[in-house]
Amino acid sequence: MVAKTSADVVIVGTGVVGVVIAEQLLDAGHSVLMIEAGPRVTRAEVVENWRNAPLSVKGDTSVAYPPRPWAPHPTGAEKPEDAYLQLRGPDSYGQTFIRYAGGSTWHWAGTSWRMTPEDMRLNSLYGVGRDWAFDYDTLEPYYVRTENKLGICGPADPAQQWPARRSAPYPMPELPFSPGEVRFTEIAKTLGYNNIPVTQARNSGIPYDGRPACCANNNCVPVCPVAAKYDAETALNRLEKKGATILVDSVVYQVETNAQNKIEAVSYFDQHKQSHRISGKLFVLACNGLENPKLLLMSKNDRNPNGVANSSDQVGRNMMDHPQLTLTVTTKEPFWSGVGPVVNSGIMETSQGDFRSQHAGAYFRYNNFARNRFVTFAALKKGLVGKALDAEIRRMTACTADIVAAHEVLPDANNRLTLSEKTDWLGLPKPSIYYDVGDYTRRSAEVYSLPIAKRIAEAMGAIDVKISPKFNQSKHIMGGTIMGNDAATSVVDADCRAHDHENLFIPGGGAMASTACGNSTITMVALAIKAGDAIVSQMRGA
Amino acid sequence: MNSQPQDPTHRFTLSRRSLLRGSASILAAGIVAALCPTLSLAAIDGDIRTKFMQLSNLLINHELSPAVGGRIVETAERQYKNLPDMLDAIIKVAQSRNAIVVEDFFADIPDGELKDFAHWVIASWYSGCSSDKRDAIVFTYEEALTFKTTSDVITIPSYGISGPNLWTRPTVPLSAPMPRF
Repeated sequence: MVAKTSADVVIVGTGVVGVVIAEQLLDAGHSVLMIEAGPRVTRAEVVENWRNAPLSVKGDTSVAYPPRPWAPHPTGAEKPEDAYLQLRGPDSYGQTFIRYAGGSTWHWAGTSWRMTPEDMRLNSLYGVGRDWAFDYDTLEPYYVRTENKLGICGPADPAQQWPARRSAPYPMPELPFSPGEVRFTEIAKTLGYNNIPVTQARNSGIPYDGRPACCANNNCVPVCPVAAKYDAETALNRLEKKGATILVDSVVYQVETNAQNKIEAVSYFDQHKQSHRISGKLFVLACNGLENPKLLLMSKNDRNPNGVANSSDQVGRNMMDHPQLTLTVTTKEPFWSGVGPVVNSGIMETSQGDFRSQHAGAYFRYNNFARNRFVTFAALKKGLVGKALDAEIRRMTACTADIVAAHEVLPDANNRLTLSEKTDWLGLPKPSIYYDVGDYTRRSAEVYSLPIAKRIAEAMGAIDVKISPKFNQSKHIMGGTIMGNDAATSVVDADCRAHDHENLFIPGGGAMASTACGNSTITMVALAIKAGDAIVSQMRGA
Repeated sequence: MNSQPQDPTHRFTLSRRSLLRGSASILAAGIVAALCPTLSLAAIDGDIRTKFMQLSNLLINHELSPAVGGRIVETAERQYKNLPDMLDAIIKVAQSRNAIVVEDFFADIPDGELKDFAHWVIASWYSGCSSDKRDAIVFTYEEALTFKTTSDVITIPSYGISGPNLWTRPTVPLSAPMPRF
């Protein structure tokens, strides 16, 4: 077979952003070639990797997705000095993502909170951060299309919706709460908070899009064994049937510009370190909010001395996430976390308010992961045997729970991805990231989020509370190719088109100008669909 | 699909099938050795396996899988040079107390090497692993006893026990009977 070396549209990355755009373009009649750095594997292989991992490391998603040498991604086994991500600064920008065909939705929880109108106008309303290039009502139709594309379930009752301002119903009803979640909801209510159903990309009660209904395997992270949760891998075969070409184990290392400063081609290394060149009319970078800026910076040339798409010097800056603090509570009465999907409800109203002029908002959730793997070794270390050991494991599994407070952060140009002097297996520079969650978020923890979380724990009847000593990241990569109407202060325009290159689109989390508190994937996909429309329109005029 | 060749190193996964195949080979080797007196080392191994299961049943009063026990003892043989002596010593303590359940004799196991080993055996069965470290050897996932203690309520992750939207049954009180296993 002669390898294909060009297409109308070349998409780098096969995660959810890439596959959604690819399908739009294929349906519009354009040829599409997708390039994936990592391998393409079966679901069964991922499930077996995970089941065969030691109990104590099952929380490390990389055990299910071991990185290939040519396509490294973060793992829990790395020493800091050898790690793929070279982290600097007062807070750790420790991320989890995978470079596999299908991308990181393989291991997302499926949580799909929309942003609110206020989330997109932080500067106008509260005098902090940035406003988006457009308002919520502009994005809303794309949210609806995303919910139908991914199969996102949610409540019909506006009082249970987040936000209630929406133009169409969810394609499926919300998933039911487990008894523990019902109890948690009642407790939150006593404090004046509404714990509402998570809108989530998980099939509720019925099959959807050729995938089965969720049957509570409680393994959404790191992999749904039956694909009841949407992940982008489930779309790859369909894309190929529509004519897409998908290259795997192919690491794009350069974006090439021509004399008109349009993108002419991309080059990639295969796993034998051989270089190949792919040309096209239009290019989409969809290899996540961290790999995208890395690739742009690596691609600097005489016309673009700071890197491709970087005349603003904003590429790699404004790296954001949802810094989170976890309270592990021990209760007298059993909550039995682990019945149902892993994240199924949340308190979102605490993310909104005029206080945002002073400090960040926060979203609270009851993590519904089965607790056995978290408590077994702790119970064993108590030296118990026989019936006492059985009872202690059962008690700790039933009566411990994690309450998570996830915060917003503000874009800060100092939170920056640059190219490390250290290199990977292919000789490409590793990403180096400086990160500080900032006073805005720290102040929230001090005066707002932790006090609320402690009240929730107390109302749950907690007899012991352990609070994570530092912020952990939620693995929601945002900001590195930030969107704006001003080419001097942003990387992409309102359609995620690079200000500097008319045939280069960089959709996804990197474009987000604010984080809000809810998980970012649904917004990433909404931006991708919006970009897809713009690309189709642009190609039609080409 | 127009793709690059498959991973050339072939070293990234250990499938359940290959794990079971390996275990079956070990078991078959043990049976062969037991039938052939000239293979004295293997014959001793067979004796150790029997004693290991005897000890395991004294330390853990539940149904134990010989296949899982076979994997644990393989590691025990590598990890504990004086394994035969330790097995004999702990079994002797139990026999001297006419022990039926672990509570009858565990406190009488001398502190130090013997008690540490007894705890390791128990931990191996409950966690399904040789340790709580990243490089632990995995003996089993779904048969780890930790999951048996909660099997009336909690799904072993990736092995759903419910059906579509059918996870709303009432919370089980802690006072409910321990599942039989």
